Amino acid sequence: MAEVFWPPQGSASLLGGEHNRIDGLAKCIGSAKYAYDVVPDNMLVASALSCPHAHATIRAIDLNAARNMAGVVAVEPLKKEGDEIRWEGDLVAVVAGETEAAVAEGLAAIKIEYEVLDHFVDDTDLDAATEANVTRPAGRNTQLQNRDEDADQEFERLFNEAAVTFEGHYGINVITHMCLETHGSTCESQGDKLVSHLSTQNVSGTPGQIAGPIGLTAQDVTVHCDYIGGGFGSKFAADAWGVTCAQLARNTGRPVKYMLTRSQELKNAGNRPSGFLRAKIAADKDGFVTAWDSAHWGTNGTSGAPVSQGVIPYVFNPPNRRRVATGIRTNTSPARAWRAPNHPQGCAITQTAYDDVARHLGLDSYDVFLRNLSTVGERAPIYEDQMKLAAKLMDWKAKWHPHGKGGQDGSVVSGLGMAIHTWGGGPHASRATCKIHPDGGVEIFLGSQDLGTGTRTVIGLVVAETLGLELEQVSVQIGLSEYPSSGPSGGSTTVGGVSESTRRAATAALNLLLTKVAPRLEADANQLEAVGGKIQIQGNQNRNISWKEACGQIGISPIEAQGEYAPRVTYPRNYDGKRLTDNGVAGVQMAEVAVDTETGVVKMKKFVAVQDIGLIINRKTARSQIYGAAIMGIAYALFEERIMDKATGAFVNAELADYKLPRLGDTGEIVVELYEPESEYNRGVIGLGEPPVISPGAAISNAVCNALGKRVSVLPITPQRVLEAISGGA
Amino acid sequence: MHSFEYSAPHSLSDAVSLLAQAEGNARPLAGGTDLIDQMQTGRFRPALVIDIKKLPELNVLEFDGDGLHLGAAVPCYRIYGEPRIVQEYSALADACHIIGGVQIQSRASVGGNLCNSGPAADSTPAMIALSAICVIAGPGETRQVPVEEFCTAPGENVLRRGEILAEILFPPRPANSGSHYRRFIPRNEMDIAVVGVGAFVELEDDGQTIKTARIGLGAVAPTPLLAEDLSASLSGKPATDSTFVSAGEAARQIITPITDMRGTAEYRKQITGVLVQRVLATATARARGEPSEYKPGK
Repeated sequence: MAEVFWPPQGSASLLGGEHNRIDGLAKCIGSAKYAYDVVPDNMLVASALSCPHAHATIRAIDLNAARNMAGVVAVEPLKKEGDEIRWEGDLVAVVAGETEAAVAEGLAAIKIEYEVLDHFVDDTDLDAATEANVTRPAGRNTQLQNRDEDADQEFERLFNEAAVTFEGHYGINVITHMCLETHGSTCESQGDKLVSHLSTQNVSGTPGQIAGPIGLTAQDVTVHCDYIGGGFGSKFAADAWGVTCAQLARNTGRPVKYMLTRSQELKNAGNRPSGFLRAKIAADKDGFVTAWDSAHWGTNGTSGAPVSQGVIPYVFNPPNRRRVATGIRTNTSPARAWRAPNHPQGCAITQTAYDDVARHLGLDSYDVFLRNLSTVGERAPIYEDQMKLAAKLMDWKAKWHPHGKGGQDGSVVSGLGMAIHTWGGGPHASRATCKIHPDGGVEIFLGSQDLGTGTRTVIGLVVAETLGLELEQVSVQIGLSEYPSSGPSGGSTTVGGVSESTRRAATAALNLLLTKVAPRLEADANQLEAVGGKIQIQGNQNRNISWKEACGQIGISPIEAQGEYAPRVTYPRNYDGKRLTDNGVAGVQMAEVAVDTETGVVKMKKFVAVQDIGLIINRKTARSQIYGAAIMGIAYALFEERIMDKATGAFVNAELADYKLPRLGDTGEIVVELYEPESEYNRGVIGLGEPPVISPGAAISNAVCNALGKRVSVLPITPQRVLEAISGGA
Repeated sequence: MHSFEYSAPHSLSDAVSLLAQAEGNARPLAGGTDLIDQMQTGRFRPALVIDIKKLPELNVLEFDGDGLHLGAAVPCYRIYGEPRIVQEYSALADACHIIGGVQIQSRASVGGNLCNSGPAADSTPAMIALSAICVIAGPGETRQVPVEEFCTAPGENVLRRGEILAEILFPPRPANSGSHYRRFIPRNEMDIAVVGVGAFVELEDDGQTIKTARIGLGAVAPTPLLAEDLSASLSGKPATDSTFVSAGEAARQIITPITDMRGTAEYRKQITGVLVQRVLATATARARGEPSEYKPGK
């Protein structure tokens, strides 16, 4: 019988190869249908009205004029009289109509009277927030080597005895998810059944979220999402707009499309919390950090939570550490999970401080990071290995100069920086059904989704590898909530979850087939294997039958087998046997930049990412995932930020023209190295979505600091911030 | 977007009549790259949109003794695709190359850029530097207005009710002259200028002394500016880096930029100085027939 565990490294037919996406062509030629592309006959379009105030209560709301507008079919209030609006752009009412023009006229006819209230949107200044009484304590924590000592006295001693002591200020602004496809859905209602073509990261989990509020049960709602134009953690829920679209479809008996506008998307549908930090740091002469004393703050919107204490400082765990966290409540929309929640901010506001240790001591940043690896735990040797690889790819030693001491080409100076990161990436719960048809056809079904990462291709590769077939012979069916349930795609959990359930389902199906084929080959099923499109006696290519012939033995009903991964059940606690998937990775990134000291423009010259992810299923899409992460990281390091107007409380750059994202010409050369020694391969599959997006902020900030000899404190490092740092920064 | 009427007249006079009859409740549509967006966001809600992009009078691109006649609806790609414009009116070609991406450049016109009258319009400082003249058709006599006097406030200009910008006239290029437009944006392409600078430099026959110069500045005041005194002060000066640096320093003193999300006033002053210096250097190199090192986004 076929073995469920992965073949030894180097012996797989397809796993670890370079494979094009099976849906690449459909995406390139536009035949791939996203939620927005679904246009049923007789469809209504819907759009929402946004509140122009950052903080207000609704005194009166009158929808009658909108309802009577020609071409308007339905108006659905999202707020009622007396409701409090807590951020600018919050959605108040939805109009559905025959045309976009009719909807626009309907929205313009809605009459709302607001009582405008005081607002607060400045998350950068802790003192101002404290004075405005919008802060809340978010924890404090002290760790001392000499546990019995008084903390204040002990820190004073440590700072006095250190070779270097300095204070630093670091920050990273709020960014939005900026999904290219805005949030929303197209809904079709048929009697008591409803189909929602929802742009979602959570196909299996959203039917129930839609059903309850519209008076149906989950079994009556089907969620369908073949393709999604970006989620990054913001599309786990059906959301008010998904439910309202379903409600409108139910009420009108007609299909309805309701997608957020770009501005509404940015103002409502997800952002990453900010992080600001003041720290006092002590280090020995070799750059080993002996004491870390920090206060950090930030906002996640109206509830006021900062970046988690757990990432302060990030990856490194200095022997003496005190951290105080404060949240700031702002009149801004609630944050949502953004690719590796907490980690990019933690990395950006603390590994910059570690780089400043090198700056203050005149040391090579590489050596300081290396020196502090003794505090990172069991992955220290992996980091060291990866640092060597990255340095070689960057030619670090040849290019390095002490901070601010490099040569100048006209007004341009260059610099190097690095950062390291970690993430879990263990699998989510997943079920799969594999069917082998009597005519040789193979299908795999999962209620999972492909966020654009190549999940569909990975699933196909696992099935093909398991059955000894080519990728093209497998039909991958995902994106429908009627399929066996699979977890939401977040936290780098998908590739592990789906490859584990798929491998188990395909192996179980194959073993059923081997049992049917064994008499034909006059062998025991245990002696058989599926290789190269054949079923054969293990190691004996002469005794075989073709796949198609083998499937002819199935009978009239297809073989159908299930596979499942259940967290903590599949691998119980303390399990130390063979495994298909695992959790926990490292990663090292390095950046090289050129900075124009007259204009403040930072240009990416080169970016190197070294990443372990356990066993690699598709080398090509894995690399693509890291390219994408590097570009996203360059975006938040140098360009994108939410800009709030303190006077009005408005999010002033909530359009693509004003919310700066890099163009490809801004990203420079990106070099990706997948780190897969046998020891990592043998751990099985681990997720990759989050880890490579963590380090770019710190690595690029450190490179700019190395170029200038001065720290640009807050990300993104805009030209203006660069010039301000040159003229007066620390 | 709201509901509106659409009309595509066949002649400039018909367009002028339609516009006059609409009593201010109509907008002309050329490339539409600004107007459609403004209608989508609700900034403009015209009852009538008059499509003028195919009017023959607005699509001329001709050279004669008066210089270059450029129809107001000629899209950017035709402008930078004309070798004589690239050679003789380089600043205009530079500007048209960096307005939006290829798709936008296929639709957007310089006339539309001017009529939109944004302070950060890319082509306007270039046209100011090149001493361009607006030819305006209307119910009455055709009239001419220098480009630097066309815009009167952000989004406002000298066009009266019923008037249409028909043509932009560029005087012939003098010998030993060159021009350049460059803007500052935080990324390498497809962005709105934080500062834009156009410059024209004419050298004496020695190739070392500035005979005349004209500097147009964008995004640093409510309207694009002609730096008149600064331009005049360069006459007779040596065409050297130190002159350009001084000109940049002087430019910082004459502008009145605002602080907004694209940059503070102080920052815009710094960038203006740097750009004036760099743009003068490139325009001078072109006047000398030297190869230009300028590449957009580099």
